[in-house]
Amino acid sequence: MKKRTKLTICLGMICALLVAISSWYTIAYNNSRFIAPMDLSEYVFRVQDLPMIISGVFLALYVVYLVVLLLRYIMTNRHRKLTLQFTRTINPKLGFLGLLGFAGFLGFWTYSVDKTIFPFVFFLFFGFFGFFYEGKMSNTFIDERYKENKMKAQSVANKTSLSIIFLAILILGQGKLMDSLEYTLIALVIVVALSLALEIFLSEYLLYHYDNDEQFDESEE
Amino acid sequence: MRVLDFECRLKKYRLLKDLTQEQLAAKVGVRRETIMRLEKAQYNPSLKLAIDISRVVEAPIEEIFVFK
Repeated sequence: MKKRTKLTICLGMICALLVAISSWYTIAYNNSRFIAPMDLSEYVFRVQDLPMIISGVFLALYVVYLVVLLLRYIMTNRHRKLTLQFTRTINPKLGFLGLLGFAGFLGFWTYSVDKTIFPFVFFLFFGFFGFFYEGKMSNTFIDERYKENKMKAQSVANKTSLSIIFLAILILGQGKLMDSLEYTLIALVIVVALSLALEIFLSEYLLYHYDNDEQFDESEE
Repeated sequence: MRVLDFECRLKKYRLLKDLTQEQLAAKVGVRRETIMRLEKAQYNPSLKLAIDISRVVEAPIEEIFVFK
């Protein structure tokens, strides 16, 4: 494991430990201040608050450190992408992650229990089926035909997805699905999540299709 | 899919230079499959690729790629 990864994990563990100890202290000896809701506009400093303040500051610094790391990673990755010559190598079996999309059906259950509709967003995970085709195109040399096919595939996928969202907004925008605004919102969330999943899947599927599907003998002539 | 009204005589010039598809692909910086599709007139190359190929096989572009 890299030195920096180890350091990040260690710092995270120290922060978690500090938060746990200070939370225990404030619950046991400080009337749960900073844990129970309190009005900070009337806050008066007490020495017993110090553990929570210190652990809070450390946690905030750690979050800033993580954000800096993330930004640096994004910048480095962008540079790497510009000079990239081969596609990334991933295992086609990652396509099975697409099965997580079925978690979206949990939304019907949570909605009936406590009106929570967030799980419908999990339908997005159906897009992970695209990893199957991306895996098949692993470590492919990126030449001009690949770039052309990729652009074509992304363009068709975006167009398809946007057309579905457009139609859904046109139809569901009336807000009269089963005469219920709530059902309309649910239907809209489902359609948008599924359309985005389709876009993610389709761009990988079409790229593979365009790149490999011509039917002819590929042996050297 | 065949590109309409496009004939590619790359194979003839490649064999004259005694190059395999793999060798030509490496010299012009594309995949062997791209050369294969070019030879079957199933891919319309960019101007840069056409120039690179014509330099490698030492033949004029208009002799290799014929648009009718």
